[in-house]
Amino acid sequence: MKANTRTIPKAVIGAVALSLLIFAGSVPGNLAWSQEASDPQHTVEVPWNRWMDYGEVVSTMERFAEAWPEFLTLESIGTSHGGREIMLMRINNPSTGTELSKAAMYIEANIHGNEIQGGETSLYTIWYLMENYGRVEKITQLVDERVFYIIPCVNPDGRDYFMHGTGQGSRTGHVPVDDDNDGLFDEDPADDMNGNGVIETIRKYVPGQGTHRISHLDSRLMEEVPPGEKGDWIVLGREGTDDDGDGRVNEDSVGGYDPNRNFAADWEPNYIQRGAMDYPFQLPATRAVNDFLMAHPNIAGVQTYHNSGGMILRPPGSEYRGEFTAEDLEAYDALGETGERLLPFYEYMILWNDLYTVHGGVLDWTADGLGIISFSNELWNGGQYFTSPDLKEDQQDPFSPITPRQGVANLFFDDLLEFGNEYVEWAPFDHPVYGQVEMGGWKKTRGRLPPRFMQEELAHRNMAFTLYQADEMPMMKVGETSVEKVDDDVYRVRIDLSNPKIAPTVLEAAAQNKVVPPDLIVVEGDVDVLNAGWVENKFAPGANLRIDQHDLKRIMVRNGHPGRVTRTLEYLVRGDGDMTVRYVSVKGGTVEATVELN
Amino acid sequence: MKKISTTRSRGRQWASRLVLLLAGFIVLAGFPGGTLALQEEEHESTDYRTYEQVTTMMQTMADHHADIASLQSLGQTLEGRDVWMLQIGNPAGVPLEQRPALLVAANFEGNQLIGSELALATAHHLLHEYGTDETIKALVDEHVFYIVPRVNPDGAERYFATVKGDIKKNTLPYDDDNDARVDEDGLDDLNGDGLLTVMRVEDPAGAYMVHPDDSRLMKRADPAKGEEGTHSVYWEGVDDDNDGFYNEDGPGGVDINRQFQHAYPYYEADAGPHMISELESRALLDFAIDHRNIAVVLTYGESDNLVTAANQRGELGPPSTIELRAFAEASNADAARVGMYTVGRRRRGGGFGFGGFGGFGQQSGEPERRRPPAPQPATTVNSSDLPYLEAVSEKYKEITGIEELAATRAPAGAFFEYAYFQYGVPAFSTPGWGLPATEEESGDRPGGGAGADGGAATRAPNANARQAMGQAPSGMMRRGAPRGRSGPGGAAGDGADLQTLRGLEARGANAFVDWTPVQHPTLGAVEVGGFAPYALSNPDFAMAEELGAKHAEFAIYLTSLFPEVRIASTEVVAEGGGVFKITAEVENVGFLPTALAHGVRARAVNPVMVQLQIPPEDLISGDPKTSFFPSLDGSGSRESLTWIIQGDDGAEIELLLRSQKSGTQTATLTLR
Repeated sequence: MKANTRTIPKAVIGAVALSLLIFAGSVPGNLAWSQEASDPQHTVEVPWNRWMDYGEVVSTMERFAEAWPEFLTLESIGTSHGGREIMLMRINNPSTGTELSKAAMYIEANIHGNEIQGGETSLYTIWYLMENYGRVEKITQLVDERVFYIIPCVNPDGRDYFMHGTGQGSRTGHVPVDDDNDGLFDEDPADDMNGNGVIETIRKYVPGQGTHRISHLDSRLMEEVPPGEKGDWIVLGREGTDDDGDGRVNEDSVGGYDPNRNFAADWEPNYIQRGAMDYPFQLPATRAVNDFLMAHPNIAGVQTYHNSGGMILRPPGSEYRGEFTAEDLEAYDALGETGERLLPFYEYMILWNDLYTVHGGVLDWTADGLGIISFSNELWNGGQYFTSPDLKEDQQDPFSPITPRQGVANLFFDDLLEFGNEYVEWAPFDHPVYGQVEMGGWKKTRGRLPPRFMQEELAHRNMAFTLYQADEMPMMKVGETSVEKVDDDVYRVRIDLSNPKIAPTVLEAAAQNKVVPPDLIVVEGDVDVLNAGWVENKFAPGANLRIDQHDLKRIMVRNGHPGRVTRTLEYLVRGDGDMTVRYVSVKGGTVEATVELN
Repeated sequence: MKKISTTRSRGRQWASRLVLLLAGFIVLAGFPGGTLALQEEEHESTDYRTYEQVTTMMQTMADHHADIASLQSLGQTLEGRDVWMLQIGNPAGVPLEQRPALLVAANFEGNQLIGSELALATAHHLLHEYGTDETIKALVDEHVFYIVPRVNPDGAERYFATVKGDIKKNTLPYDDDNDARVDEDGLDDLNGDGLLTVMRVEDPAGAYMVHPDDSRLMKRADPAKGEEGTHSVYWEGVDDDNDGFYNEDGPGGVDINRQFQHAYPYYEADAGPHMISELESRALLDFAIDHRNIAVVLTYGESDNLVTAANQRGELGPPSTIELRAFAEASNADAARVGMYTVGRRRRGGGFGFGGFGGFGQQSGEPERRRPPAPQPATTVNSSDLPYLEAVSEKYKEITGIEELAATRAPAGAFFEYAYFQYGVPAFSTPGWGLPATEEESGDRPGGGAGADGGAATRAPNANARQAMGQAPSGMMRRGAPRGRSGPGGAAGDGADLQTLRGLEARGANAFVDWTPVQHPTLGAVEVGGFAPYALSNPDFAMAEELGAKHAEFAIYLTSLFPEVRIASTEVVAEGGGVFKITAEVENVGFLPTALAHGVRARAVNPVMVQLQIPPEDLISGDPKTSFFPSLDGSGSRESLTWIIQGDDGAEIELLLRSQKSGTQTATLTLR
């Protein structure tokens, strides 16, 4: 007690002195501050309220790698069609073991070119883990116990096309595809004809002959006229022209496929699954991702960020793949339902049933083909524009200024919360094909992306769910052991094995598909194993369940160890001295117990 | 892909030109044996060719015929061998990539060496007849042949090993039984004869008995007929890894003809980790995708759709299974299943320790709302395509005389199935050799006799017999499937063993290794014997030359079927006032349609495009400036187009016709 009273003033003095120094701008943030009330400085400052282009994503990763070299390794796993590197960050604390000895959480984002905020969310995750290592106990534990592999941008060509390109941005990567079968590739995309950096909507004034009219709710909005009536306007699609002179407008844009239909589980050809390309892993990005995944069998959790809709999607992606077993579902449900509570407005859903059928998506490949619990969060939900119950109720009124009718609420939000930043007013334009028209409408950053000022919360909540999944990856433990002498040199040895986490060491799906190696229980020592068996309940009498395998010093457990379960293994052995039982699991780690036979 | 003809073989080219020059002099000097000698130098062999020999032969052909042939490597295997492709086509005229092409590919299964010979024979025939045979000259001038005789060179090389094992797979190390050990329990040559066969061992618990009609063969005992199983059957070898199974994880690998995207057998060990995971399959597929001018595909492999074409429902004939091997394979069916435990799983209420699971519901187990069923890919041949494929099948049998095949398998993941179902072209597969037609088969047995007399001397007609086995649609033997009557060796004794053995022996082949007693370390007294490795997948090499000639003829016949689209007629009528009416007819004078019905459905073959090369605003009425036909039938079928345009009198307008499988054509019209 006395010692305490003496040290506290010192600490206070030190803190005051340090804060003065920081004021002077000469000392960076310091872990010694972790006990103080005021927030520490960040080691790396990143603005989380703006969208980064691909170059900024990479340079941000480079800044992280420089700031935390002990834990971070930055590397390229492949090159896109457009020559951009697909960058991956490894987070591993080497002092707690090699990467492959620890379960890894794999996080990827932005495989769809226009679904960019997963990139910032991934960067935020790296940053948050590093900033809070040594400061927040749970984060420290995660970084020490787990490995993270994070690819913020799987589709760098698509991201830069979204950020800088003249097109409206889309899912595709940039491997050329002949969308219109004319033998030419990507020859007629949308065009930014008025050079304002936005692909707008084209409308033409055709008095008394049109299909649309100016909305009575807001003069910026168009509405379709009812059947039997004529409007004064027609809508002519996206800004662009007939680039290839074939008589059609915008019919063959850049790329023209869906990289997230190019994975090898439940892959189907183009005529069944649009955008699948010719075969799985044909694309540079999907191939690079898969090469990495297959080389890292320690990956025990997958999150792939998409937008939008506010969903925590789980596989399967198509009905006929069938439902998971009850055991696997229990793990998915335990994680997904917690996710719903971490992520307001998000729903935990089955991909094929609640969204749509996806053949050849990464989610099924990692779940079914690689045997890993896999989720895909659809980031951002339009319900988040007006979040309070009162505002929700207000929106029910069709004449409210925030009625969702015709998008009135969107304009209200943009006008007053984003100061009109996301909407381009209609303006006249002389179009080479359509003549005198008007162009205007929403920017591409509106709709699928959150408002910038809301991105940090989106990143944090989704990260929290993903870190929860990472924390619940399997982790084997050895519990009580007992040795009982049966006869001269014959012993009954019991060992409790447990996995306190939600995820099993081997999913049933993985065992059935034979895509994850079995867990092994290896015996070392000068012993003969006469018998081995599982004990149903070690507190109740009864014979054990015999393990019917030839080599009892190397027992295979194909469907692994269930989550949140302890089970007891009983050996009957002949021998003496030390006997070591080692449990080896590719995803659950390696643990061992040594008992002495006497 | 690399072209090897540039630097590496420049010296050789010079040398070969010199040889040609000399040969020419000799011919001129009235020495007719000259070209013949050259021919034999390339083709002569007494046994199936090694990779080196295949390579040398292909290089020699490319060198000697550099004007119309070139050699490319499509890729390299794990062991560093090239997957060679010989391109044959006269480069003068229409660019090669715009001409209809025949792709011939062989040796997907490493143990099918005959296919390599047949493919090489076709190349040889084309090159050597080019100078003398007008028909062949025309073919090579107007078409392209892509010939890939050895798709799986690493696998094929095992034929030349001192101990032969009849392995189809490539050499990728692979954990077949998923026991965390790779290639740890392969075949062992117990009787030291250099041949890896099977073991039979007397076993009161065994499921099999000696075949009543040939004591060398085995059949599944049928308890319903009072038959008692007396034997078990295993692959020849010992249990190297002490897991209770014999040879369940041998060296390699992946079966290249189980790698492709149609009906891919997911998670079967020999199909690899995923579709197109292998260097070989990817090399061939990338080439095909880059060469959409390929109009017909001919493969030599273990599956057949030429002797038995798809039936009226579009289904292929059932496989012809050799039961003796299937029995041995079935002995390992559970090797990858040992070690599944339910202890501590909560559905059994077991386990303890972390409690409290009630809070987590199972709500997602049952979908709440149902969506309409998603579209499924085609699995049978489109009925509109059947007549074309049947015509080819008939011609194949007519040319080759092959009516009966030794052993075939269901084509799950085979390249030719991909080529039809996803690439969208007529695609064929044949082992390339046959058994002598059996007398009994020629008799009228409309299939009703299947199983009527179990273990009958003659194999029941295919379809009924195999259906009686109740096989899955893929027809492949499924590991872990309940055995008994529905497993391999249905009690009717409907395997192809007896008939195949008789057929092979009628040909004088040493097809069967007689049983010899061996003392086995764990099984005790066993007998080792069975079908000789490679005997089921290859004929005696002596037959290769004759088969090669017939299959060259068949390959040439296939090219005669190509679609051939042309602008048949054009007409320009001046309507006055600078307005013109243009009419054009396009025609397919070939036999095949420009796209099969399934090629259209699968959107695998581009539609035929007709484009009038005018500014869009000059078009007043009629068909679009750019028109598409999903397919144009052959045998002179026509499509007509009409445009009303404005233009200047005397102006010239180009009409463009583009067909993916038949090239590009233009016509110039003058407005007047």
